[in-house]
Amino acid sequence: MAEAPPYSEKLKSWDRFEAERFSRKAPITTPYPFIDIEKPPEYRGIPHINPEKCIGCGACANVCPPDALIMEWDKEHGVKRLTYNAARCIRCARCIEVCPTGAMEPTTRFEIATNNKEDLVEVVEHKLAYCEDCDEYLDFTERQIEYVRNILPREIFHLYALEDRIKLTQEEKMRRTVVKLRETEGNIYSTFILLNTREGGEE
Amino acid sequence: MVTTRDLEAHFEFECKACENGHCSKADVEKILAERKGLKDFYETFKEHIRECKRMTYGQYMFVIDREILPEAVLWWHNHPEFKETHLSTAVGTDERPLNGKFAFIPFLNVQVEPLNMDGNYWVFLKTYMPADDPSFPSVAAKLPAALWIEREVKDLLGFNPINHPDPRRLILPEDWPEGVYPLRKDMDYKHSPITEPKTEYRPTPKDTSLVPMGPVHAGVEEPAHFRLFVKGEEIVDVDYRGFYSHRGIEKTGEGRLTYNQILFLAERICGICGYQHSVSYAMAVERLADVEIPDRARYIRTLLLELERIHNHLLWVGIAAHLVGYDTGFMHAWRIREPVMWLVERLTGNRKQYGMNIVGGVRRDLLDYRKEEVLKVVRQIREDTKKFLDIALNTNTFIKRAEGVGILPYKVAKAYSVLGPTARASGRKIDARLDQATKTAMAYNEVDFKVPVYKEGDVLARVLVRMDELFESIWIVEQLIDQMPGGNIMVPIGDLPEYEEALGFTEAHRGEVVHYVMTGEKNKVYRWKVRAPTYNNLPAIPEMLKGYHVADAPIIIASIDPCYSCTERVQFVDIKTRKVKVLTEAEFNELSIKHKGVF
Ligand code: SF4
Ligand code: SF4
Repeated sequence: MAEAPPYSEKLKSWDRFEAERFSRKAPITTPYPFIDIEKPPEYRGIPHINPEKCIGCGACANVCPPDALIMEWDKEHGVKRLTYNAARCIRCARCIEVCPTGAMEPTTRFEIATNNKEDLVEVVEHKLAYCEDCDEYLDFTERQIEYVRNILPREIFHLYALEDRIKLTQEEKMRRTVVKLRETEGNIYSTFILLNTREGGEE
Repeated sequence: MVTTRDLEAHFEFECKACENGHCSKADVEKILAERKGLKDFYETFKEHIRECKRMTYGQYMFVIDREILPEAVLWWHNHPEFKETHLSTAVGTDERPLNGKFAFIPFLNVQVEPLNMDGNYWVFLKTYMPADDPSFPSVAAKLPAALWIEREVKDLLGFNPINHPDPRRLILPEDWPEGVYPLRKDMDYKHSPITEPKTEYRPTPKDTSLVPMGPVHAGVEEPAHFRLFVKGEEIVDVDYRGFYSHRGIEKTGEGRLTYNQILFLAERICGICGYQHSVSYAMAVERLADVEIPDRARYIRTLLLELERIHNHLLWVGIAAHLVGYDTGFMHAWRIREPVMWLVERLTGNRKQYGMNIVGGVRRDLLDYRKEEVLKVVRQIREDTKKFLDIALNTNTFIKRAEGVGILPYKVAKAYSVLGPTARASGRKIDARLDQATKTAMAYNEVDFKVPVYKEGDVLARVLVRMDELFESIWIVEQLIDQMPGGNIMVPIGDLPEYEEALGFTEAHRGEVVHYVMTGEKNKVYRWKVRAPTYNNLPAIPEMLKGYHVADAPIIIASIDPCYSCTERVQFVDIKTRKVKVLTEAEFNELSIKHKGVF
């Protein structure tokens, strides 16, 4: 019996359209995870909260479809806590779109498999603003107030007397409004302006 | 509902039969003359029509008496002139918080003329049922296309389709207690009754043996339980039990999700045709709000839809090859498919779940330097697929297993409202891209392509239809890149109108995907219904299996490209609007009292 040609020789005689690529290297598969895989700059990986920039406004937690971002208040300790759980995240990047300060940063990270669930969680804690008159914490953080200070023009601060009032609780603000009202003898217009100031603080 | 730019006339139209007294301002005659067939329908069922309304461009609603529901549906479905008209799906809604009634709305895709985007339209046949007797005469008794949807509303809402031929459970497990209906608004979200597990299968017919196939499909790797009744090798009858992956996500969204958040959930109904769901949902909401999205957004959406179709068809042909034992074909098909995934990762930021849509447009622009890549990739795919088909269609293993197997005759396909490539392989000339006005959300009206139709109705025809479509898709992509207009990519849509209804639809690679949205108050969604194409195709499977061998069953089942998770999604988001309203009003009152106190 004549010796059969080796298999690799047989392969060569087949008219395979990828033959020429085949001769260079295995063309289709890569030895991932042993090599780094190319990630395009457009890739949407898991987001990351930059604690330096975050002001704790909660806009991201409001838009997050699967509740991967959660905002909690701990009024006793005066803390507002933003928790990000990568295991719930669907990487839609809505949070990145809405974050007013750019604290939600896009990354190209996608390999988040781990044997410790806690690796997947990011927590950012903020100090809540404190109203000294009422001895109580406010709903918003000190940084939020700082942020409002920076973006609102000075005139508005003056117009609404914000400087004094921004760190007060709702009740205290109202109480002061009443006082003011008594002073102005029921001038409805100025009362109206003062009431509106709530909005500025909550921004 | 106000008009879109394509339609010159008219706001609402309420017909003369309505009792609410808006009639004087509506020009019924003119609106009924807008599309062919509306007038005839009106004349035929005059006494039973309570109200007529034009929902949005190309979508009309008739509120009819429940007694004539089957006749009205069949009038459309079996219309002698409009051959391809079909009962697309239906939705049941608990409208008791609004008007004390239940509502059931079958949707008909009316095909005045095949592939006529401007002539064809949707008809909603809405019928109200009193809260103490939510029953209606079953359409399914006369039309198999309604079989599943009526079982579904029976399970989830407790409606009673009188004389339904197969009133078993469809979606809920058999051990779910009687009288608990998850989609009713008074069902508590946390309520989860647990009882003894039991099953309810059809008895094995006489002189046959049972071959269970499932509960996980061998090739598609998804849960579905087929029970084949065989005589020797031959399949005589089939029973199907599915909905094992029913997730009931409706309650997750209750009262919490905004319309834009639902969009991202919608995209995740399916891991394969997710973008189709996302576009359908966005389209439904845009129709409701009557916004026109910018041209560039329409083009980008269409481009991605077509790229998705290309990768889906290649994926499917690979699985088909695998199931007939031709694994070389499987490897090649998936190798050819990979560059598409690579490409969309660069265009959208992800291989799947593109996350590109937002209601009112798209979120990312198509960067110019990626355009070249798109053309390069599709060109390469065209070459590779040609070679692949050349080999595969000359491989006997493949052809012998596919030719003349699983034949679905045209009549059966029509009776079950079979959709997509499965229908086109049986000679139905339908394609939602062209036969319905997709032009407000997509750009199919501005490109040129053919819709391949085969008559054989066997597995091979389904392969060929899909492969022809793939080349058409490549051609569409090339045109889109060439014609891509500039400009904005989204428009903000602002507040949604309350209690408006509309449909959004696309032609997924399996058939038409339909999303029905009814808005509630405060930009929430009152009712969201998703109908994946497999929902219509799967009930026809027993018809395809009968008479073939057990060994053919996997490929026949796979030939419709079933996707169980989207079919079983039932991701309705139902918002307990009533509850939300009460709460917010109470809060509001509290607040105002506080303020008054201060003053
Ligand atoms: S990327 Fe999406 S899912 Fe993830 S945290 Fe941001 S908003 Fe939530
Ligand atoms: S939106 Fe940005 S600033 Fe606001 S809480 Fe989230 S990460 Fe922080």
